[in-house]
Amino acid sequence: MTDTATPGPARQMHGSLYEQSSLMKRRNSAETRFRTYGILAVVVALLTLAIMLFTIFRDGVSAFRQTTVAFPVEITETVVDKKGTRNRDDMAKVTTVGYGKLLAAGLLAEIQARGIDTAGMSEKDITNMLSKDGPAQLRDQVLADTSLVGQTIDVKIYTNGRIDGYIKGRVTRETAERDSNVTPAQLDLADRLRDAGILSTGFNMGFLTNPDASDTRPEAAGLGVAIIGSLYLMALVLIFTLPVGVAASIYLEEFAPKNRITDLIEVNISNLAAVPSIVFGILGLAIFINFGGLPQSSALVGALVISLMTLPTIIIATRSAIRAVPPSIRDAALGIGASKMQTVFHHVLPLAAPGILTGTILGLASALGETAPLLLVGMVAFVTNYPAGPFDGGVMDPATALPVQVYSWASRADPAFLERSSGAIIVLLVFLVIMNAAAILLRRRFERRW
Amino acid sequence: MNDMRIVERTVSTETAKMTARGVQVYYDENHALKDVDADILANTVTAFIGPSGCGKSTFLRCLNRMNDTVSVARVVGEIKLDGEDIYDKRVDPVTLRARVGMVFQKPNPFPKSIYDNVAYGPKIHGLTRNKAEMDEIVETSLRKAALWNEVKDRLNAPGTGLSGGQQQRLCIARAVATSPEVLLMDEPCSALDPIATAQVEELIDELRAHFSVVIVTHSMQQAARVSQRTAFFHMGHLVEYGETGQIFTNPKDPRTESYITGRIG
Repeated sequence: MTDTATPGPARQMHGSLYEQSSLMKRRNSAETRFRTYGILAVVVALLTLAIMLFTIFRDGVSAFRQTTVAFPVEITETVVDKKGTRNRDDMAKVTTVGYGKLLAAGLLAEIQARGIDTAGMSEKDITNMLSKDGPAQLRDQVLADTSLVGQTIDVKIYTNGRIDGYIKGRVTRETAERDSNVTPAQLDLADRLRDAGILSTGFNMGFLTNPDASDTRPEAAGLGVAIIGSLYLMALVLIFTLPVGVAASIYLEEFAPKNRITDLIEVNISNLAAVPSIVFGILGLAIFINFGGLPQSSALVGALVISLMTLPTIIIATRSAIRAVPPSIRDAALGIGASKMQTVFHHVLPLAAPGILTGTILGLASALGETAPLLLVGMVAFVTNYPAGPFDGGVMDPATALPVQVYSWASRADPAFLERSSGAIIVLLVFLVIMNAAAILLRRRFERRW
Repeated sequence: MNDMRIVERTVSTETAKMTARGVQVYYDENHALKDVDADILANTVTAFIGPSGCGKSTFLRCLNRMNDTVSVARVVGEIKLDGEDIYDKRVDPVTLRARVGMVFQKPNPFPKSIYDNVAYGPKIHGLTRNKAEMDEIVETSLRKAALWNEVKDRLNAPGTGLSGGQQQRLCIARAVATSPEVLLMDEPCSALDPIATAQVEELIDELRAHFSVVIVTHSMQQAARVSQRTAFFHMGHLVEYGETGQIFTNPKDPRTESYITGRIG
């Protein structure tokens, strides 16, 4: 056994272990290159995500803060309750104009009492700094508690969007010069009010609870209706898709004969998952609203449409979860005389449950972000009334959903709505993160090993 | 082959528990089992031996209609349990499987407690009226499977936490719990170490007192050790079937002889 006896091709491998052959060098450098590409790809992805999050948070975080003016207001009986009966129905006839006057009087009195300089400004200039939504807020407050009539109460009223924007740094004196809605003098007064402690900025609870507001009062616009709408959507989608999806998956996986028809069904389910969502929107419009006569803009119709889209996702996830259950478990159950049904419900389904849950939650999460079909069934409407409770037919009431609210705010002119649009995205992202975290936790919690 | 303790065992009974006549099995176009005639005797351990793919497991799975779960499988011929055709339309395979139990190659306990594993069969077949009866069935089944002493203190521990040999004995206990008349075992020891194998083999011999046992095995030594009767399958044919001692010492068919001496297989 000498080296010379070794046949040809293997001979070049017999150099020193410390030296790399040229082939080895090429192979190693190819590997290094590939790793670099991989790292670059990951960096690009992370960077994109970071930029996206940065811009959203830069634009959106300010939506969670709101500037308000605090001052005492006398609820004059002669204005809000002319008959003096404290009858809500009568009092509801008083328009917001009356309350607007009360607010104006209250603010002017406060400014005068504090001795704040308002030189060169008309009363209208000063009172216009309050949100146009202020009188409506006050009216709601008084109608909710009629004992307030005749008293002087402390109120906190939103400033209008421009003053709010000035405090948050979006509006400057230069832009105010060109803006017909705000004057530099008003900005100066805002500064003085802030120094006097009347005007302040705090957490904007109204952003999460208020309904949408008109184009002229962005400061009062909130996500209340959209959040309720999205919650209704999610609940309904879950109710519609989970039983149907799981039943369909179990049948297809465990009971259906394997033949042309089931193959066809299988292919179609996969295709259904790939149909563009707008198509489902048109389908929903034609079938549920035009043919079925269900109310448009309602969470029910939106949920039906989204269910159609989520169903294939859930079926695919559930089927793969069921398929992942080892066949030996089925054999074991069948081998001791369990029926097919008992095998599925006692053994297969419990083992597949974590996978089914995860798939369902991820399906719901993508449904939560679905926009296009909702636009077509009218959930993009301007809705200022909260839907009723879930058991009072609330799902039939007009509502919007979070992503649709993002869309409709982003398409409005006032830059204050852009801020709210980004704020709504943050809320949507928080919902999605919560759902995905729940999916991961559930999977960890219920994962069983065999 | 020192451990081939071939002894002339007297087969205590000659009554046929199951009879198969002209059994053919097709998987799609593949003719997997060709014209098999065999009698499984009561209170006897019958071993099926043969090279891989010879049809022995297929025939075993015919005996409790587990082949029904394979959609492409087609069974022709007649298999009777106590004179009743198990492929008759009126037969519910679920009832059949309660009477013809099965233990699989790989231990496959349910991911549940040891107690629940054993109690599952009696529960779904409604064999007990109360907890006390169930406790008794669980205990006797575990005792029959020679597992009771090892697990009696942890009946609520998961069955999947046991060792491989214990798991397989748990599966046997589970199969025994429904009081079957025939127990089919598909290579029950192939995933076990020699010690666990010895335990299971000992167990099989004890189980013979209560049931007919049919065991598929790749190990000829095992067949020789545990069985009274042996069937040799080759290429889908039942080549030779007879007393274990005769098959191993004096095979009639040259193919059997070649297999036993290690020339084919």
